[in-house]
Amino acid sequence: MKHLAKSGDLAVDLADAFDASPNPYVLLTPDLRIAGANQAYLDVTRSVREAIIGRPLFAAFDSGPGEEAPENVRQVKASLEKARDTRQRDHLAMVRFSVPAESDGPDPVFEERFWSATHTPILNARGEVVWLLQHTTDITELEQLRQTTRARSKSARTLDAIVGGGVLARARQVQEDNRRLAEERKRLQDMFMQSPGFVAVLAGPDHIVEFSNDAYRRLIGHREIDGLPIAEALPEVVGQGYLDMLDGVFETGEPVQGQASLVQLRRAPGEEPEDAYVDFNYQPIRDADGAIIGVFVQGHDVTEGVRAAERQKLMIDELNHRVKNTLATVQSIAVQTARSHADPRTFAEGFQARLLALSHTHDLLTRSHWEGADLAAILQHETEAHGSHRVTLNGLPVALGPAAALSLGMIFHELATNAAKYGALSSPEGRVLVDWSVSNQARPVLHLSWRELDGPPVAPPKRRGFGSRLIERNVRHDLAGEVKLDYASDGFSADFSIPLDRGTHS
Amino acid sequence: MSAPLTGRRVLVVEDESLVAMLLETILEDMGCTPVGPAANIDDGLRMATDGERLDAALLDVNVAGRQVFPIAEALKARGVPFVFSTGYGEGGLPDEWRGQATIQKPFTEAAVRDALMKAMGVADV
Repeated sequence: MKHLAKSGDLAVDLADAFDASPNPYVLLTPDLRIAGANQAYLDVTRSVREAIIGRPLFAAFDSGPGEEAPENVRQVKASLEKARDTRQRDHLAMVRFSVPAESDGPDPVFEERFWSATHTPILNARGEVVWLLQHTTDITELEQLRQTTRARSKSARTLDAIVGGGVLARARQVQEDNRRLAEERKRLQDMFMQSPGFVAVLAGPDHIVEFSNDAYRRLIGHREIDGLPIAEALPEVVGQGYLDMLDGVFETGEPVQGQASLVQLRRAPGEEPEDAYVDFNYQPIRDADGAIIGVFVQGHDVTEGVRAAERQKLMIDELNHRVKNTLATVQSIAVQTARSHADPRTFAEGFQARLLALSHTHDLLTRSHWEGADLAAILQHETEAHGSHRVTLNGLPVALGPAAALSLGMIFHELATNAAKYGALSSPEGRVLVDWSVSNQARPVLHLSWRELDGPPVAPPKRRGFGSRLIERNVRHDLAGEVKLDYASDGFSADFSIPLDRGTHS
Repeated sequence: MSAPLTGRRVLVVEDESLVAMLLETILEDMGCTPVGPAANIDDGLRMATDGERLDAALLDVNVAGRQVFPIAEALKARGVPFVFSTGYGEGGLPDEWRGQATIQKPFTEAAVRDALMKAMGVADV
């Protein structure tokens, strides 16, 4: 650490000057190891350079075994760390620190001394702390002089004041108070910073952001706002009523609060403002005289809760709508079935069979969370009661939306029931072939044919029953499709074309 | 008892065919002539404005995911009385349509008749 300074033609070795100074100096690394010390320091601490270089300062000097030693070490260490972390010079007006005294025996003897210390950070070109310089003054004699003078004469107050016993004591007190306040302030700030709710401190009539915590920055989209008036920090909020409320709190001192209050925040530059809902509180901050100097803002982002409540209300409305519609459908099935059954027993049978067909399609849909159901699965269920070997299903998998699934479930039920009563499935040899395909992939249309073979001769019905009316109406009305029912004498057939790209309402 | 409704032409807008069939059955039993039924808003709007005579209408509030109010506006402009049918309950109607004759799903024949007569301003005899 030899630095040469040029002064005219004279080259001065600063290390020599440092070493020759009567003031004790010690140079420390940022992790508080001893990097260098001048002769005065070695003298006053009664140490040799080789023994202390490279050692942690407080391993080399621990203020001895006294009761107060840990506190003394703590004070010096805190001042050094403050100088390092703030990159500002820090002063210790007075600190007790014991150093080894001359001793005859093998055990070291410690001598209590009073010091005044200045800790100076030394920065490199990038502004980083590379060294810490401790400049100490031994003020033990001064302190002792003060104490002796005071003991000898009560009238020695002037000297006492000059020598600074009181001044030193006060300085020490202030020093201690400052440290405690700084610690308290940091603890409070940490608490606010980590609070799950948002917190901001706004100063003055323009509501300048003096402090904002992590939750507040999350709420507003991580913008740099400290030091800005709120109208500048959050320009999109101007006109949403919050500034008027802040003005009101600042002027009248009346706190304001809001619940699930809508605020639109532009969380990224150039993006549209997003809706957020907040519970919040504005409280006046007063100085010692009671004058309002700012507004304390705190609250919670309750957007998720508000959204969940909205979704729940929508779901309940939709559920109610669906249940009522389903009940109306069941009512219709009951009324129409009753009209074609004079006998209550056959009515009950027919009604229940239709109800179960509807219910089964619901089961299939529930399994897929009402996203859809497979065509073959619906066909299979509605026909298996009549012997699966007699009904041949032939086609690729087709996913049906809920509305189409419910309609086709009922339609296949009517077809199968009809085939079992009057058609191919009413005779032992009869069979049913079901073939389907999907055409036009851009706007897909399902083509499905239901063909009955080897059954009894077919005659067109004298009057159209509920089953065939339901099929025709359902295909045209609910599915916007086409159906052709053909009562050919060698077997009934039905041909469907059903668009599959319609909405999935039910 | 249903004499005041005999021969009335009543438009039905309802997306569920089974429910539409029930309404038609009920209307026919009362001596009315059902018009439609329309399964969506576009068809319903066309039937409400094509100039054919209409004496009344039964309008499902939610038709294939859309609200029926454009048809209600068109009918109101023509002076055709109408009844809303809804599964949403009393709160399902926006403020401007509150007080309009309404039937709740599922409905009885008597409820349909009473609501139609209320909307048409005819007395039971």
